[in-house]
Amino acid sequence: MSHSKAASIFNKDEKKVNWHDKALWFVRHKRDKSTHTVAGWEELRNLGHGIKAHTLSNLDTYLIQFEENALKNGIQVHWAADGDEHNRIVHSILKEHHAKKVVKSKSMLTEECHLNPFLEADGIEVIDTDLGERIVQLAKEPPSHIVLPAIHKTKEEVDELFQEHLGTKPCDGDPQYLTGEARKHLREKFIQADAAITGVNFAIADTGGIVVCTNEGNADMGAHIAPVHIACMGVEKLIPKQEHLGVFLRLLARSATGQHITTYSSHFKKPREGAKMHIVIVDNGRTEQLSRPDFRASLHCIRCGACMNTCPIYRRSGGHSYDATIPGPIGSILSPGKDLKKHSSLPFASTLCGSCSDVCPVKIDIHAQLYKWRQIITKETPQPFVKKTSMKMMGNIFSKPMQFNKVGGIARWSLRNLPKGVINSKPNVWGKGRDLPIGPKESFDTWYKNRKKDE
Amino acid sequence: MNSRENILSRIAANKPDLLELPKVNPDVFIDGKNIIDEFTKKVEIAGGNLFEVVSNEDLISQVITMFPEAKINFSTLKGTESFNTLSVDANKAPQDFEDLDILILESNLGVAENGAVWLPDNNMPMRVLPFIAKHLVIALKKEAIVTFMHQGYQKLASEGTDFGVFISGPSKTADIEQSLVIGAHGALSLSVFLM
Repeated sequence: MSHSKAASIFNKDEKKVNWHDKALWFVRHKRDKSTHTVAGWEELRNLGHGIKAHTLSNLDTYLIQFEENALKNGIQVHWAADGDEHNRIVHSILKEHHAKKVVKSKSMLTEECHLNPFLEADGIEVIDTDLGERIVQLAKEPPSHIVLPAIHKTKEEVDELFQEHLGTKPCDGDPQYLTGEARKHLREKFIQADAAITGVNFAIADTGGIVVCTNEGNADMGAHIAPVHIACMGVEKLIPKQEHLGVFLRLLARSATGQHITTYSSHFKKPREGAKMHIVIVDNGRTEQLSRPDFRASLHCIRCGACMNTCPIYRRSGGHSYDATIPGPIGSILSPGKDLKKHSSLPFASTLCGSCSDVCPVKIDIHAQLYKWRQIITKETPQPFVKKTSMKMMGNIFSKPMQFNKVGGIARWSLRNLPKGVINSKPNVWGKGRDLPIGPKESFDTWYKNRKKDE
Repeated sequence: MNSRENILSRIAANKPDLLELPKVNPDVFIDGKNIIDEFTKKVEIAGGNLFEVVSNEDLISQVITMFPEAKINFSTLKGTESFNTLSVDANKAPQDFEDLDILILESNLGVAENGAVWLPDNNMPMRVLPFIAKHLVIALKKEAIVTFMHQGYQKLASEGTDFGVFISGPSKTADIEQSLVIGAHGALSLSVFLM
């Protein structure tokens, strides 16, 4: 289904759309408030951009250095070319340790690889332990946002879900009570877990360590209790030195939720005594994206979600309408690189207003890349008949000034005189849900020439 | 070719020409704010409590008044052994500390810009403790507070920590309709005692 079609389904419940829009704008507002207190914020963004760009330009060397140091630290390192290989590696590690119960903290990569169903098919229990992720897991839905996975759910919906699955009492969606019950439920899972899986926010080449950021403490509760810790990361998570965390940890939480830092920024370097630690390094299309000069900066992304919170389209269409692991503006420039046909409508899910690029902590030119994907998609995938013909006609008209003037006159006259039913007829998508302005009597060109004459 | 070689050779072929690594100059961020005031403010924004004390004994007596119902307590501070109701040794599993009410640890680094304190595993007998305890209490010397994360990492550069964590406030979540709830999976409260 195209994004616009999925969005129109989401838009059937206008009240919920307004609520969703406001909830995300609230987060964007918190981001503004906290970034405005940081002197040199723009310099910080420049550094974030520059360090990531440098790292990508030397990524193979840094990965080798990272692996060497991680091995020295007693961590086992695995490499996966695609999602399938990643899943098989994680599965074999779990088998080796006879792990039947797994707790997992947030990892968009394991979502991307569809790890949970792969493990569940072999009878392994996988519990997502981030509260938002647990909510969508119980609802059998994918996350709709990378930082706020259950942002599309109202508290009443969570209430019902918990009553059904956790046996909670009806509470009118009291967040305090529901969170408390989730804490009890998940505490039990942490205590019993045979293995913990986490994502990776940053991997540091010169120490071989990884950093995982959470607010709930779920990554740590998993990793420090279970006998095995598996951390899964895309190749682009590398940074050269530990001191660079100073830049990225200052940027990440402020951009994501407006916090000055997440509650926990955990630096794992060696496994604890008696426990095992594995790192799985995954490509899954990233090296191909690296080959595209116009789009490689999309790999700078540190997954803060700021571009989603600010996007007028995302806020009003919901994360699920993108039908991609990473939704929103950043997802719309990453996904076409993986499957151009499946995701061909995503770069059009934008007004190109540029707000995403303005809030991006690592200065990815998101809106420019959306525009560039459009050029490629229009050439390489079949376009709807109406769009194709009207584009051709417009191209024709714009190339001949005389004809342009004539058609402009007719259009202005039509907008003044034709009934609304005709103007807003079906092929005119611009007339959907809004009225076009009344046509002015003269064109800009005529107005300008007359003005010049009067001078 | 195995996946490792495959990935590395693809990167070598696909990466752009080498770009320069920018140098981080922390002076750009100087904002003239008072370091202790800023730290205090940020600990509170993150949902933590901040107190000033003169000694470890003073700290312990304040903690006992704060949590009168606590039964299982553990502190690593010098001269506070009588506070401890359990011992932490290698024979114990992380699960054994599930009922820990109060944990008191020392931190040697605080960051003013975000109220975070650094806990390396040298300062805690077991990694799970600051996460599994209900109430986390941190003792921090005022001189150990730096302005920004940059200075924090300068201090950590010489430390070879196997595990360490920056903690800012108690565990929290806003995953249900963006309503902030303190106490997700980790500590329900965080108190920083400045000395």
